[in-house]
Amino acid sequence: MADYSAPVPVPGKNMGKADARIEGREKVTGATVYASDAPVANPTFAYLITASVGRGKIRKFDLAEAKALPGVVAIFTHENVPKRADAEFFSDGGWVNTSFDPMESAEVRFAGQIIGVVIAETYEIARDAAHRVVVDYAPAEPSASLLSHGTETVDAAKVAKGWKDKEAGNFDKAWAAAAVKLEAGYATPTQHHNPIELFTTTVAWHGDELTIYEPSQFVWGLKNGVAKQLGIDPEKVMVVNPFVGGAFGSKGIMTQRTGIIAAIAREIRRPVKLVPTRTQGFYVSTYRAETRHAIKLGADKSGRLTALSHDGWELTSRSDDYKVGGTEATTQMYAIPNVTSKVHIVRADRQTPGFMRSPPEVPYMFALECAIDEMAEKCGIDPVEFRRINDTMKSPVSGEKFTSRHLVECFDAASTAFGWSKRNPKVGSMRDGDWLVGYGCAATCYPANTMAATARVRLSPDGSARVQIAAHDVGTGATTVMGQIVAEAFDIPLSKVTVEMGDTRLPPGPVAGGSQTTASGGSAVKAACDKVIARFGNRLPSGPALEAAFKKMNTGVVEEYAEWAPPKSTGGVAKLYTGRMSGAEGEEKPLLAYAYGAEFVEVHIHSRTKEIRVPRITGAFAGGRIMNPRTARSQLMGGLIWGISSALHEATEIDEKRARYVNDNIAEYLIPVNADIRSVEVILVPEVDDQIPMGAKGLGELGNVGTNAAVANAVYHATGQRIRELPITIDKLIV
Amino acid sequence: MIDGNETGFSRRTFLASGTVATAAVPLAAQAKGRTMDQAAAVRAETGVPITLRINGGNHRVTVDPRTTLLDTLRERLGLTGAKKGCDQGQCGACTVHVDGRATLSCLTLAVAAQGRDITTIEGLAAADGTLHPMQAAFVDNDAFQCGYCTPGQIMSAIAIVHDGHANDANTIREAMSGNLCRCAAYPNIVAAIEQAAVQMKRG
Ligand code: FES
Ligand code: FES
Repeated sequence: MADYSAPVPVPGKNMGKADARIEGREKVTGATVYASDAPVANPTFAYLITASVGRGKIRKFDLAEAKALPGVVAIFTHENVPKRADAEFFSDGGWVNTSFDPMESAEVRFAGQIIGVVIAETYEIARDAAHRVVVDYAPAEPSASLLSHGTETVDAAKVAKGWKDKEAGNFDKAWAAAAVKLEAGYATPTQHHNPIELFTTTVAWHGDELTIYEPSQFVWGLKNGVAKQLGIDPEKVMVVNPFVGGAFGSKGIMTQRTGIIAAIAREIRRPVKLVPTRTQGFYVSTYRAETRHAIKLGADKSGRLTALSHDGWELTSRSDDYKVGGTEATTQMYAIPNVTSKVHIVRADRQTPGFMRSPPEVPYMFALECAIDEMAEKCGIDPVEFRRINDTMKSPVSGEKFTSRHLVECFDAASTAFGWSKRNPKVGSMRDGDWLVGYGCAATCYPANTMAATARVRLSPDGSARVQIAAHDVGTGATTVMGQIVAEAFDIPLSKVTVEMGDTRLPPGPVAGGSQTTASGGSAVKAACDKVIARFGNRLPSGPALEAAFKKMNTGVVEEYAEWAPPKSTGGVAKLYTGRMSGAEGEEKPLLAYAYGAEFVEVHIHSRTKEIRVPRITGAFAGGRIMNPRTARSQLMGGLIWGISSALHEATEIDEKRARYVNDNIAEYLIPVNADIRSVEVILVPEVDDQIPMGAKGLGELGNVGTNAAVANAVYHATGQRIRELPITIDKLIV
Repeated sequence: MIDGNETGFSRRTFLASGTVATAAVPLAAQAKGRTMDQAAAVRAETGVPITLRINGGNHRVTVDPRTTLLDTLRERLGLTGAKKGCDQGQCGACTVHVDGRATLSCLTLAVAAQGRDITTIEGLAAADGTLHPMQAAFVDNDAFQCGYCTPGQIMSAIAIVHDGHANDANTIREAMSGNLCRCAAYPNIVAAIEQAAVQMKRG
């Protein structure tokens, strides 16, 4: 039997080689240069001053004591910070994760807002000075969260560009006729990405040219957005960031800090290095907003689902109508002919939220997959069987066929490996000494997204190659996968391929978000390889014959640049060069392609203390072609652990009165530590999909969807308690 | 304007005092043509001259007494392998060895590290480039994704083997729980340590 816990899995059908990461040696020797590791000459150090009220106006700054410290170079507030142009909210066609310039005026719109920057000769002096700045506020009462007074609720369909609520059949009629009915509400909390690498920014001007070292999932976006803010030619802006120290969405869309720091550096004529604190990072970038859900599910007597209603409420800021809109996934998950859905956006006094690993699916699939478990129980059907009965090969909303779908196969593979047959369906019936034992499962899905990409590939007579693409490796293994695509195309060893990524001197690649790097970036790399091969008459010789071919062509290297855009899309590459998200809704008609999976969890809950442990978790996933089973498994494993975390650990607590985050540090914001995680099994279910680019669907976000529901369903099986609000903590189990 | 001669602390003299040739090269290259370093001037007035023994070499440097060992390594000595993930002892990314013990360099003042033997991730591999068994095991077992927590994980991992806390998967998990990995490579980290512990005991 396959060992699903081995770090290096044996490749199955339609899988590439399980090569080790090509940057592995660099990463274990400390040689990798992350953004804040890049040296600049004669730097100054920046320290942020952030708002301590949740809403209001700054009456006055008292900077005297701070300015008097030797080594303070300058202090900037809204009164003297260099003005920048609006680079617009990204989903309105711009670049920035919020349209609100935090230093434009005396207005405070959210706690933690950047209201000042101290520049000093050393970090210690900058920090000291920042703490000596006295700010006099005229505070106002903020609306802190989804259920607070004073928020404003609007329909996503009215305000979010391109969003349409999904409808199908006649929900009201089907609901009235349903033999079995469920009505339930679910809630998910605010969460912060908390990559271990902080939100650093280092900038250096050389004449009128700007170099930015900043962790970014989209360097071409950052380049163009900062150029727009500073009113300079994007050609003059270079972003260097070969490796990212974790991102999970938080470094995808540029924040306002970069333009501020770059403008300050231009004014003081010195490089500036900013390393915000972990706490400041809770406010400087984005977060996953809290959501609430109202679900109605109806079924006939045989357990066939007939009706679904899904309403979602999501928090956003006063400045921007950000939405994730996960009903897109939930309404197309099962064969439910009668569907109604609605996404509501709730504006509050917080910073604008943003992408966080599996943005729409994590909260929305939590609600659906818990509801499916509840419904299966009401129908008296095993939850695995229930999903089989309600499986579909086409979208119940549009009628369009999925390019491929192996959800049932995933359930079969995972349930067998997990030993689901040993589950006694009776709630509270399984025990291990003092511990209640529960088994639970859930489904995951994630769309196979793509966006435009470009790449350059060079082949040398000695059979070595180089690939250049400003795509990003946030830990996914993208560097290795891009190298493997070249190695495979040219039939050369991976060790002969050099990969260059994460730098705007390279041809633009896709944003490292939405699990689309392999399909999109890979397609561009593959296209460039094909062009190189075409130069050799479509048959690439090897060894001495290759050298001879170069001689005959009278050339030293063969280099080709290629562009790739999703099928049926328009203007993608041109837009990519301007650093805007080219996969925007409404512009392209993407294929109906989703990756699927099944997750099975065992929980142990102490009968008296209610302590919750997860001794094992098994996931089986079908994501099309697996480029590298080793890095694929690691990504999915990380995703599963994120799912456990989402179920049991993670929540940003909000001070209702002051609209501040209470546990804004990495000790009190709980994420799993090593001892929290036991056995994690990842099964890669072979799947061939010829319709999608590279045959690959993307895996980065798949493992992290539904897992929270699988845990909640296992908790119910162990205790009989349905916890419908995450995270599931001891206090919720003690009744 | 302050120039190097007045203060005696030009960037050039600072670089000359360092022995981390490889790490210092890009700094020197970019600083070429500048003799002025305003920060050095400020430090000369308020700083404390210290000597740190790192990876077997001595480094003289003048620091603000508030400067952590982590910032001294990263910002002054070009040793950026140790990472800043929180700066307050919560994440473990900054872990180095001080006299053989795993130590959070963000909670250690540079002045307090004088006279100690400091080892960083850069000092683990042999002179010929052969990786330490723990480094090799991390590569073999894909025990990292983004790699940002990795230097700290490896330094802690070596220390727990030496301290006798790497007897089985359970003790490894407990002993490694001070090093956060947001990519969640935990099961692979445990596998790597199990592999390396055997080799380290043999070696
Ligand atoms: S940086 Fe030292 S423990 Fe996090
Ligand atoms: S590898 Fe990314 S934080 Fe550990």
